[in-house]
Amino acid sequence: MADEFDRYLSAALAPPDRTPDRKFVARVQARIALEERLAAQQRSLLGNLLKQLGALGVIAAALWWISRSGTAAGLASESPAVALSILLALFMLVVVVLGFRTRPVINPLLSL
Amino acid sequence: MTGRTDEDLALSRRAANGDNAAFAMLVELYEAPLRSFLARTVGPDKADDIAQDAFLNAWRRAGQYDGRARYSTWLTRIAWRCRLDALRKEHRLEGSEEPGHAASVSAEIDDMLRRLSENERAALVLCEGHGWTHKEAAEMLDLPLGTLKSIVARAKAKCRAMWQGADHG
Repeated sequence: MADEFDRYLSAALAPPDRTPDRKFVARVQARIALEERLAAQQRSLLGNLLKQLGALGVIAAALWWISRSGTAAGLASESPAVALSILLALFMLVVVVLGFRTRPVINPLLSL
Repeated sequence: MTGRTDEDLALSRRAANGDNAAFAMLVELYEAPLRSFLARTVGPDKADDIAQDAFLNAWRRAGQYDGRARYSTWLTRIAWRCRLDALRKEHRLEGSEEPGHAASVSAEIDDMLRRLSENERAALVLCEGHGWTHKEAAEMLDLPLGTLKSIVARAKAKCRAMWQGADHG
C-alpha cells in the first residue's frame, strides 16, 4: 500500500499537466526544415557531380576516338603545341558550359 | 494495440511520408513528459537540447516505429540514447558534471535527486513519477529488468532515508 512517502514521491516526480509548448515545437520544426534543406542540397550536389563525371567521361571517349583518326594523330605529332591548345580550349569550353548549368550552392544556414 | 498507439502509429507513418504537420502533432503530445523526465534526470539546462535531438532522431526514423511499444516508450528510449551519446562526448571533453536543477519547482526533491546517480534518477522518475512499469522503463533505459528493479529500489530507499531525515518520517 502506498504510504505518505510514496504519495509525495509520485506527486513530486509526476510530469507537468500543461498545454504544449509551441516555442519548443517550432524549434523542432525549424531543425527538421534545416535538415530537409541540407538533404536536398546534398542530393543536388551528388546529382551534379554524377552529371559532371558523365560529361567528362564522354569527352574522354570522344578525344580517344578523335586521336585514332590519321589527321588528329598527324596534327599531334607534327605540331603538339597546336593540338594541346585545341585540347585546352575544348576543356575550358566544357568547364564554362558546366559552370553555367550548375546552380550555385546556397548555404542553408544563411537562408534560415 | 491501444487507440493512442494506433493514432501515434498513423501520425508516425504520415511523418515518414513527409507530412511534417503530423510530426508536429507528435511533438506537441510528447514534449512535456519527455522534457520533464530529462529535466529531472540530466538537469533543465541540457534537457531541451537532448529533447530536440531525440525528436529529430524520431523524425529521421519515423518509418521504423511499428506500434509494438507505446510511442512514448520508443521516444524515451531514443532520448536516453541521445543522452548517453552526449555523455560520452562530455567525458571526452571535460568529464561529467552534476545536473543543475535551478529552474525546478521543488527544492527538496531536486536535492534528493542530486544525490542519486543518473541511472537512479532516470529509473526513479520513470517508474515512480511517470507511472511506467518496470518492464517498460527497463526497455527505455536499455537495462535488464532485474537491474532496473534493483536500481529503483535502491534509489527509492535513498530518497526515503533523506525524506525521513528531513523530519517527515
